[in-house]
Parts: sequence; structure tokens; C-alpha cells
Amino acid sequence: MPVDERELKSMLGGEDCKIMAGGTDLLVRIRSGRLSPSRIVSLARMKGMDGILDLGEEVSIGSRVTMSELLKCELIAASCPILPMVVREIGSPQIRNRATLAGNLVNASPAGDSIMALYLSNATVVISGVNGERREKVSSFIKGPGRTTLSRDEYVGAILLEKTPGYFPQFYKVGQRSAMAIAVASVGSLISGQEIRMAFGSVAPTVAVPEKACEYFEKAGEKFDDGEFARLAMLAISPIDDVRASAWYRSTVVKNLVQRTLNVWRKKG
Amino acid sequence: MKITLNVNGNLHEINIDPGDYLLEILRDLGYKSVRRSCHSASCGTCTVLVNGKPILSCSTFAASVDGQTIETVEGLSQGEKLHPIQEAILEEGAAQCGYCIPGIVLTGEALLRENPEPSDDDIKLALNGNVCRCTGYESQNRAIKKAAEAMRGDDYE
Ligand SMILES: Cc1cc2nc3c(=O)[nH]c(=O)nc-3n(C[C@H](O)[C@H](O)[C@H](O)COP(=O)(O)OP(=O)(O)OC[C@H]3O[C@@H](n4cnc5c(N)ncnc54)[C@H](O)[C@@H]3O)c2cc1C
Ligand code: FES
Ligand code: FES
Repeated sequence: MPVDERELKSMLGGEDCKIMAGGTDLLVRIRSGRLSPSRIVSLARMKGMDGILDLGEEVSIGSRVTMSELLKCELIAASCPILPMVVREIGSPQIRNRATLAGNLVNASPAGDSIMALYLSNATVVISGVNGERREKVSSFIKGPGRTTLSRDEYVGAILLEKTPGYFPQFYKVGQRSAMAIAVASVGSLISGQEIRMAFGSVAPTVAVPEKACEYFEKAGEKFDDGEFARLAMLAISPIDDVRASAWYRSTVVKNLVQRTLNVWRKKG
Repeated sequence: MKITLNVNGNLHEINIDPGDYLLEILRDLGYKSVRRSCHSASCGTCTVLVNGKPILSCSTFAASVDGQTIETVEGLSQGEKLHPIQEAILEEGAAQCGYCIPGIVLTGEALLRENPEPSDDDIKLALNGNVCRCTGYESQNRAIKKAAEAMRGDDYE
């Protein structure tokens, strides 16, 4: 259990060394035998990773900050309202008391709920390693399901979210049962007068952004048509059949949630 | 490695393996109210409070809570006197087999400490991670509400 960056860096690397934050993913995978790292480096004692900082245009969230702490933070509620909206839907209080944003991100699940908020907030990942620090946008940091650009001797120190107080946030998640369900499909969005940001969960190998639809929203002006927006949005998804739902069901859910997003925004916005 | 756990006010200095889970360590120390069933962070029967917050001991390394304060149900009841949530659970008939109850009592207690006047929705959300295979949760939600009232009443007297 390293206590500072120097010590942490000296412990990383090695064949199958794993970093542990809240352990809500890692320990479940170890218990089920799907993973057996020879060494686990816990961040539990790390200094300086537990802060939520106001950086002006952005908010920095340290890698040890738990989901429960995010829900209680006034700065986040005021400047990144989409984040608590999404985090509230994650697991149970027990899970949220341990789980971290960085753990959810590095896990890189296409169903990772908080990753949706990171895409919508144009988040930057602050990565440190023996060779110093580098920064990367979340969209390029995630390479595929469970895969990121993180190398073995690197770790995520913090995540920076763009403040989005002027946007109308929405998040819809459809799961199998209300309690702690992994999303079958989810749609998150931020809408201002001129701009829409949208992200889909669980309907592609990673969280998906319907870029063509977003461009259309910004350019169409008077001619804007919901059907055309939905058609373009659906180009971004490649849902699969799996134990939780069929591809057809997933597409239908996404289409309906996209329409709901537009409807709710018109009513409130 | 050596760690110190403060469990219900009792200090335990113990030797553990870095890979030991809190659940087994607590049970070995005699805190048998901490129960194991799914072992995969899905059911909530292994819930304990760490620094007042509910967490799942089946998926927490004992080493990661070294030096911290842990509460189990044994620490809530005082001798023969039950905790108000336990009383209310009995009164509402909210325990059938009882296996899930310690987890529910602790999760409920953490909720009431933070929010002494929870709405029905607050209670439902708080108990999201506690699975009960016998009851339909309704009686347990009622019990938490009743306990909340009883506990507030105590404060005002
Ligand atoms: C019952 C249950 C319900 C759940 N419900 C949801 C849900 O509704 N939505 C959802 O999205 N997820 C859910 N999860 C998954 C999980 O809780 C989240 O992904 C959580 O955010 C992971 O965070 P953690 O800190 O526990 O990660 P850990 O388990 O500690 O780590 C996860 C991965 O990230 C790596 N890692 C962690 N921190 C860092 C870092 N700082 N630098 C580099 N690598 C790092 C680890 O090596 C590991 O590979 C659930 C899990 C359980 C057990
Ligand atoms: S035994 Fe820990 S959650 Fe089920
Ligand atoms: S009373 Fe039997 S599991 Fe809840």
C-alpha cells in the first residue's frame, strides 16, 4: 500500500500487477476466479488522490474519490449536474461507498454508467507513470471493451470534467431489475440552445457518441426533424444479442429514449 | 501483516494475509452476524459499517480497513436490549428466515444516522443492495420507517 506517487510508481509494472481503488470490480473478478493477479497495489493510503478541485473551467476528481462522495459534493452538483444524475444509478449504497470514477473508467465496460457522464463532460484523463504525466481525452483513452491506453506502469491520478452548468442534463437507463442492474441500454445527454451532446451505453463495444446526429442538431435549424435525428443517432450503435437482451430490443429502447430526450428537453428547456 | 481493527469498540490486533477478506476475518473473530452468501458483492448479507458507512465485507480486503472503525450488528444491540430497527423488524414481521436481517439493520442504521426522516423512496434506494429472499421488502421498509419515528421520538424526550 503505497502512500505517495514515488512509492506507487516504484511498485507498478511487473507481469500481472493490478491497481485497486474501491475493489468493487477487481475483487469480484478475483473471487470468481476470472483474474488472479500476483500482486495488488491498493490506493487506499495514497495521499493527494482524494480531492475534488475547482480548476475554473474544469473540475478535477481524484482517483480515490468514491461515488458517494461525488453525490454529496456541492461543487459537482452545481457545475456538472449530469454526473450525480448518472452516479445515483450505480449499484447500491454499499457499492457507491467504495466504487470510484477512475475504477469505472479503467474498467472500460460499454455499460459503465459514469463513463457516459465523462464523454458528455468532454473529460480529460490525467495519467501518470515512470515517464511522467500525460493527458488524454476519455474518447481516445478507451480503446475497446475493457481496454484503455493505460500501460502497465501507469495509473490514473485524476479525471478532469468540463463544467456544463448551462446545459440541460438527462440520463435514462433501462435495466432488467431496478436494483443494481447492469444497463441493457442507456442514453445520456446535455443540451443547450445550440448544441447537443449525447452518449449511448451498452449498445456498442464502448460507450458510443452519435456524432452525425449531434452535428445535424447544430446545423439543421428550422428544418430539424426528430425522425432524421433518430436515424442518424442509430448509426452510432451496434447492439448485440446477449443474455440480458436482444439486439432488436436494445435498438428499440435507444430509439425511444432518444425521442424521450428530445421531448423532455422541449418541455423543460 | 499486522493490522488493528476497532470492531464495536473492541480493539483487535491481528496477523493477517494481505489477501484476506474482511468477511472471513470478522467471522473468525467471532462476529458471526456478518454473513456470507453470494460472495460476489450482489446480496448485501455481508454488510458492515466502516467509519459509519455500509460496505460489503465479502469484497473488501481486511488490510484496506486497517486502523478503521467497524460496526456489526453485535454492537448495535446492548445486551438483551434490541436496537430500535431490530425491534421494528420484529414488530412488523419483517424477518422470516432472518438471514438477510443483519445486513438490512446496518444499512438502515447508516441511513437513519445520515437522514433521520427518510421518505419511502429514500428507504427503498438505501436498501437497493440488500437482497431478501423471503419477504417482499414492504415490511422491512415499514420497519425502517417505524424505527426512524421511534428514534426521533427518543431524541425529543
Ligand atoms: C453489485 C455491483 C453492482 C454494480 N453496479 C454498477 C452499475 O450500476 N453501473 C456501473 O457502471 N458499474 C457497476 N458496478 C461496477 C463497479 O462497481 C464500478 O465499475 C466501479 O466504479 C469500479 O470502481 P472501483 O474503484 O471499485 O474499481 P476497482 O475494482 O478497484 O478497479 C477496477 C479496475 O480499474 C483499475 N483501476 C482502478 N483505479 C485505477 C487507477 N487509479 N489507475 C489505474 N487503474 C485503476 C483496476 O486495476 C481494475 O482493473 C457494480 C459492481 C457490483 C459488484
Ligand atoms: S456475500 Fe457479500 S454481498 Fe453477498
Ligand atoms: S428474511 Fe429470509 S432472506 Fe430476508
